[in-house]
Amino acid sequence: MSVFVLDPGVQTTLQASARVGLRQAGVPASGPADPVSMALANRLVGKPAAATCLEITLGPASFRFDSPMQIGLTGARASVQIAGVEQQFHETISVKAGDALEIGAARAGARIYLAVSGDLPAEVFLNSASTYLPAGFGGLEGRALRKGDRLEPGAVGERPFCETPHTLRLPVSASYALRAVAGPDWNSEDETPASSVYRVTTRLSRMGAEIDGVFPAVSQAGMKPSSAVFPGALQVTPQGRGFLLLPDGQTTGGYPHVLQVIRADRHLLGQIRPGDSLRFLMCTQVQAEAALRAKQALLVAWMPDFSL
Amino acid sequence: MNASAFDIIPCGDDALRIVCGAGDIRYALASQLVNDDAWQEIVPGKADLTVAFDPHTESMSAAMARLRDALQSSASFTLPAPRRIELTATFGGAEGPDLEALAERLGRSAEDILTTVEASKLKVDMLGFTPGFAYLTGLDQGLTSERLANPRPRVPAGSIGLITGQIGLYALDGPGGWPIIGRVNTPLFDRFASEPFLLSPGDEVAIRRRTGA
Repeated sequence: MSVFVLDPGVQTTLQASARVGLRQAGVPASGPADPVSMALANRLVGKPAAATCLEITLGPASFRFDSPMQIGLTGARASVQIAGVEQQFHETISVKAGDALEIGAARAGARIYLAVSGDLPAEVFLNSASTYLPAGFGGLEGRALRKGDRLEPGAVGERPFCETPHTLRLPVSASYALRAVAGPDWNSEDETPASSVYRVTTRLSRMGAEIDGVFPAVSQAGMKPSSAVFPGALQVTPQGRGFLLLPDGQTTGGYPHVLQVIRADRHLLGQIRPGDSLRFLMCTQVQAEAALRAKQALLVAWMPDFSL
Repeated sequence: MNASAFDIIPCGDDALRIVCGAGDIRYALASQLVNDDAWQEIVPGKADLTVAFDPHTESMSAAMARLRDALQSSASFTLPAPRRIELTATFGGAEGPDLEALAERLGRSAEDILTTVEASKLKVDMLGFTPGFAYLTGLDQGLTSERLANPRPRVPAGSIGLITGQIGLYALDGPGGWPIIGRVNTPLFDRFASEPFLLSPGDEVAIRRRTGA
């Protein structure tokens, strides 16, 4: 069984579970930028939600299968072909030996997940196989996949065909409304940013996304001693830019932490890309809890082992 | 110290912050809370301690009450004697691109700054930001410096950052917002070691110029 990397595109990494309980040593969550899409891809090939999966950034990218297996594709919208035949996202796809998978440039969204039916070997480091590029650990030698890499998934029986229920195919678009609660450095006298529209700049990575727009004024004097920050935090820098943290984002920071995207919506951050527009919908703690319960209930019915 | 008097504030919808101030109280509280598996993360900041809970099993108000209870029953504690670690470093030039500008702004020679750094009794206050990044306190307060207005996308592993009163050691290549004055010669991160990060909170650190450099 093998998957041959013909072209990894901008960046393709192996991702699995998030790292938990290591932030006091500065080790971030890592794991998939969009864990819902990754879990849905794994579900298409009958694997656990956090099984090791390929995370493909923006595309185009291409792979060749040197033995028959089944695959699942989810996430950013792109055209996908095998041997010139258009393929569907959110359906189990059976591939033959020699088939090449051609993923086009994403038209919306930032990350495509490619799950394969056999288990993908990956380096487990600090309790997870997820690749964390800044430190070079996890995944395949702690690095992004390169042209010529060969992944060797374990042998596995044929999986039954399935498709993601339509209600779980979360929309990928160029504009997002993210529910958020006030961050610890929110100043209640500041105007709510809920009315503002923010634009994602080209400074985007698995660590975070810079956004442009009108933020509460923050002076140098507003700098504060570093505190813990988590994925979903919106920090405002002295030059008036916002920085939204993603799974590889820093564990502590000294820039004011004005908003926190709620747990229920954090997975959406993995799909924002340069040029996208964002709005923040402020909610209360009780609303955040209700939102999490509702979305979790929807997802767990299809993926019993998944947790937002 | 009466821990039950500390303010507890939400940090998003799945974490809480104990505003306990700087100092060893953070490690004392962390060492107590770590016995409760329900806290998923326990992260010291410079002047606080933040804990993450599982919002699937516990509401914010329930987590707040549980944390309040834990602080009220805070037990006595002893902290181990600090380790002493000596690091050698190369300063200025390509390794320390911001040293000259710092000297100019302070109206002091680079030599004077380095002597001051070497004489400072530094202590690892916390790790954070990126894996193994160490915040060291104890730097002579006369060396005043702000973070860079525009963080660098990438600084090399071992880089020594300086802001007022603090040294920051970058264990890995990565983005950085602190002015960089030099680079330590000892690896701060070893991915194959059983303890991958050289430094831990509470360690006492001395940084010396590499002789012959």
